[in-house]
Amino acid sequence: MPVFAVVSMLVFLALRVLPVDPAQMSLPPSATIEQVEAKRIEMGLTKPVWEQYAVWLGSAVRGDFGESAQYRMPTSTLVLQRLPATIELATCALAFAIVFGVAMGLLIFAARGTVLASAGMVVTSVIMALPDFLLALLFILLLGVLMPLFPVNGRLAPGLSVPDLTGFLLVDTLAAGEPRLFLNALSHMALPVLALGLAFSPAIIRVLHSSLVATYQQSYIRQARLRGLSDRSILFGQALKNAILPVVVLVGTQFGGLFGGTLLVELIFSYPGLGNLMLRAMQTVDLNVIMAVALIYCATTLIFNSLADAGVYLLNPRLRS
Amino acid sequence: MHGFARYADIRLILSGGAVSAILLMALLAPWIAPHEPNDQDLLSILMPPVFAGGSAEHLLGTDSLGRDILSRLIHGARTAMTVAIFASCGAMLLGSVLACIAGYFGGRIDWAISRMVEIWLSFPPVVLSMLLIVGLGIGTDKVILAIILVDWTRFCRVLRTEVQVTRRQDYVAYARLAGFSHGRIILREVLPGVLPMIVTLFSLQMGISVVVEAILSFVSMGVPADVPAWGQMIADARIDIYSAPWGLALPILMIFVTVLSFNALGDSLNRVLDPRSSARRPV
Amino acid sequence: MKQQNVLEISGLDVSLPTGDRILSGVDLAIGGGRILGVIGESGAGKSMIGACIADTLPDALAVSAGSIEFDGLPLGSMTRATRRDLLGRDIGFIPQEPMTALNPALTIGQQFGSHLARIGFRWPKERKERTIQLLEDVHLPRSRELLSHYPHQLSGGMLQRVLIAMAFASNPKLVVADEPTTALDVTIQARVAELIARMVETHGASVLFITHDLCLAADLCDEVAVLYAGRIVESGAAETIIGSPAHPYSRCLSLATPTLSGPPRPLLTLPGTMPSALERSVMAGCELAPRCPVAEMRCHTDKPLLASTTTGHRSACHFPERVSAIQAPAEEPQAAAREPGPDVVLRAEGLAKTYIARDWIGRMRRVEALRGLDFEVREGEFVGVVGESGSGKSTLTKLILGLEDVTTGRLDAAGFAGSDRSAATLRALRAQVQLVFQDPQSALNPRRSIGSLVTQSLEVRAERPSRAARSAIARDLLAKVLLPPDVIDRFPDQLSGGQKQRVNIARALCSNPRLLVADEIVSGLDVSVQAQILELLKALREEAAISLLLISHDLAVVRHICDRTVVMFRGEIVEQGPVEEVFGNPRHDYTRALVAAAQGGTSLRKTMSQSQ
Repeated sequence: MPVFAVVSMLVFLALRVLPVDPAQMSLPPSATIEQVEAKRIEMGLTKPVWEQYAVWLGSAVRGDFGESAQYRMPTSTLVLQRLPATIELATCALAFAIVFGVAMGLLIFAARGTVLASAGMVVTSVIMALPDFLLALLFILLLGVLMPLFPVNGRLAPGLSVPDLTGFLLVDTLAAGEPRLFLNALSHMALPVLALGLAFSPAIIRVLHSSLVATYQQSYIRQARLRGLSDRSILFGQALKNAILPVVVLVGTQFGGLFGGTLLVELIFSYPGLGNLMLRAMQTVDLNVIMAVALIYCATTLIFNSLADAGVYLLNPRLRS
Repeated sequence: MHGFARYADIRLILSGGAVSAILLMALLAPWIAPHEPNDQDLLSILMPPVFAGGSAEHLLGTDSLGRDILSRLIHGARTAMTVAIFASCGAMLLGSVLACIAGYFGGRIDWAISRMVEIWLSFPPVVLSMLLIVGLGIGTDKVILAIILVDWTRFCRVLRTEVQVTRRQDYVAYARLAGFSHGRIILREVLPGVLPMIVTLFSLQMGISVVVEAILSFVSMGVPADVPAWGQMIADARIDIYSAPWGLALPILMIFVTVLSFNALGDSLNRVLDPRSSARRPV
Repeated sequence: MKQQNVLEISGLDVSLPTGDRILSGVDLAIGGGRILGVIGESGAGKSMIGACIADTLPDALAVSAGSIEFDGLPLGSMTRATRRDLLGRDIGFIPQEPMTALNPALTIGQQFGSHLARIGFRWPKERKERTIQLLEDVHLPRSRELLSHYPHQLSGGMLQRVLIAMAFASNPKLVVADEPTTALDVTIQARVAELIARMVETHGASVLFITHDLCLAADLCDEVAVLYAGRIVESGAAETIIGSPAHPYSRCLSLATPTLSGPPRPLLTLPGTMPSALERSVMAGCELAPRCPVAEMRCHTDKPLLASTTTGHRSACHFPERVSAIQAPAEEPQAAAREPGPDVVLRAEGLAKTYIARDWIGRMRRVEALRGLDFEVREGEFVGVVGESGSGKSTLTKLILGLEDVTTGRLDAAGFAGSDRSAATLRALRAQVQLVFQDPQSALNPRRSIGSLVTQSLEVRAERPSRAARSAIARDLLAKVLLPPDVIDRFPDQLSGGQKQRVNIARALCSNPRLLVADEIVSGLDVSVQAQILELLKALREEAAISLLLISHDLAVVRHICDRTVVMFRGEIVEQGPVEEVFGNPRHDYTRALVAAAQGGTSLRKTMSQSQ
């Protein structure tokens, strides 16, 4: 929480020292210098920066992040419209990355010393060299253009619509009892989720693998073998609970990478989420929107950090006592 | 055991060779590129590469403005390597110095630096670099600065732990008892121990810098429009993805090969330089 | 009434892929209910025997000849699965380091439960009751509560009891104990050894007891086999091998071990080191020949085989009759009568150190690390500080070296008062008082050459000696600690443990100190290497007239080289005086307990005969 306060302050200060004038931007280009000056006073821009921050913070805690200069509507409304799409995307991608990464890590470790394990390591290195936005473009090229199996634009086929309940399409389509729409939404999500999830998985594979290797050098694993436990119960009953800890830490600290990746992946798939909103805002220097979205990115990352800390705490008895 | 060591050496030679080739290409770009990267030939636009039915005049085809893709790729390497080298050096220097200070002295200064890293890491790196570009403006130097300001934490976080481990060794305590100054201990006793890790991280950071530069150029927040860059080529080719898929695939391939080479170099350097990882060989 | 042996190993060879042998021609047999001790120094290959039985040899190693029969069945002809099935059921294992041998993420109850489930206890309730009973059998108090504890909440001694209970839970025919007491505190060691002896009686198991500790083996084992360089050099009844050995190596080992009883005598030092597997491959004769005090030409060319000397006693030596002639060097007369000089190098008066600790809600708590210490070390005097972990020994070191402030009382080291902590004073103090670190592995920067390590302290002198001068000083120091001059350009990783400890000592001598503070400097070393270092320290006293404050948990070591001893317990000195007086006639309860633990054997035998 203190981190979040510091971050909001830093972002606010950084954006205020920019050589752009929010007052001028919120008026039509034909506005006179006097009109701009009046607007500046109205917007409180003549006050000291600290006071401006206090004013901003005061309204921000009430959920008021000001008005978007470009869309001419409250920033909070804009953000809330887009937020569910991005959360849905990131959650699915993270779930895919964890399932795929942990499965691959276990597989490569269990097959250690064989050709299968080496092949798995090579595949991991290859994926590692392909960041999410390149994977997204490659998928469009291969599965959208050369072999058109998946749609590559938006969240639903044009012309379809779903009653807006939660904003999470997968939930809304199911709630509306429309399996056809659900599948359509799912097929639209397939490639972006795959791109984001796959790009995140090599880190999980490598950390899990090397953590398993390290764990197997511990003397309690040796002792478990000397008690005659089977390989399977050593791996799942003894080693995994210890070896998974670095993976939890990794997911917590590196989640920002995946979440930031939604920005480009949304752009590439024309996916109507926060990322596209942010990119547009940055191109038009829409300060209130930039500020609000940046803080959402930051808050989400921090929440995930704390979740990972809690996970480590639960899994490691040494921290509990 | 013996075979494994040779395997690591082969990887080192291969990745080192690839990295040198890319660096050489970047260095010699003006001399080896067949065309000026920005020369437009509006009569022959979107030509396929020679192996897909194009002409020998443009070996890898042309883009939507008729610019030679091969030449743009070669000059793109120059841009990518310039950014990557300066940015990685900067991030390495900033991160390593802070890591040594934090890990060696501990206490309040460690607390302060660690909190700073925490604040930095609360931003998705892509978002932070774009925000910095919004603030700094467009330009090669700005891209370098943005990468340094984002990625120093990568060095700082990893090295701080390494320095802490070295700090607890008795030979550091001995140097202190023998009357060595803190600066001298860091330089003579601590730094040599963490140097392999710095070299490894640097190699990995080269790959990361290439990616970040490509991302920024891709959303036109990177280098100026008249400087050829891989990310920019991808953004340009995206519009013509159906008619000229090669224009998109080739710069993607370049980024992939570059990042793969630097990652592989980092991995094999780590294996060769770090005594612990060679002791930790899979049995 | 010859009954079948539980374990019978014959002609066992373990080799590297290159053909160099780690073990060669090992024969061992353990009868039902017997304890066989395998004694050897590190590198002798003793742990490999356990690994062969368990089929857990490192990948690079393989059994290249010989056979292991367990309970009449050849292990070599069994499938991997069958062999794995024997483990934990018919063969139990007690590990070396109890602190790391249990899974930190699972409770004692969970780990014990999964073991019992495997050996056939089907119901959770049944398992729980059985676990509690087994834990009570090994004298663990409040065993019901222990079930929900994690390993880190228990002490090393308690964990070893849990592991012993686990090893015996299935009533195995054989238990392999690999240095089960080495990692424990002295007073705990004897009790754990005693427990193993008692478990053997109640469960009727046979034990393969692997150890480096001659006295422990003598006390605990029925038979003993001595392993040197991968080969068994002597085997037979425990008393005979310890009492009247028929192999020079066994004799040298016992003469190199400091004792707590009997007249004080210098230790015998074996020159050189044990040959590695590669070096052995090119040796035509006996592996001990280059180090053996009674070897002659034939020993270098002709390998002696294990042959009976008397009934049930076998030795691999050409001249077993010469063994009794090997004697420790005689004490030099002037050394025995030597008196410490008049100057006091270190004096503590009412010395106390209190730490302020804060708990998680910020409450202050005073921790008294040291209370009212009074002692002195005079010029040329060797003083041993004895105590277990937590007795305040390391705090004392920090105070002496000026690393921490004295809370109350006085501390004068080499003429510098502990209260004066200006930079110049500290520098002068630390030239006079040098610390020899416990672990040379950690104390020697692996990236510096030996030459630069021993003269490291000269680098900060205002008038820095030239490169040539430093090199000459380095050679001089290396000669003082009996290292060959060619190590000067090598790096620590290229030296053996004993050699590294010598470098560590040489480095401390660089500034011509008056007082050496040595923190457990021989605790990690093998007996023969320990003897070398101890004799070196004694020689240095004659030559350099230094004083020594030796911090050690090993009473026999302290008795061997120190004039006086200071016994510490929970931050206080409970007893001090000349070593012979304190250890021969201990007055404080704690000293008595320490002495009893160190003499372990006698008390162990007593309990065993009582229980019979």
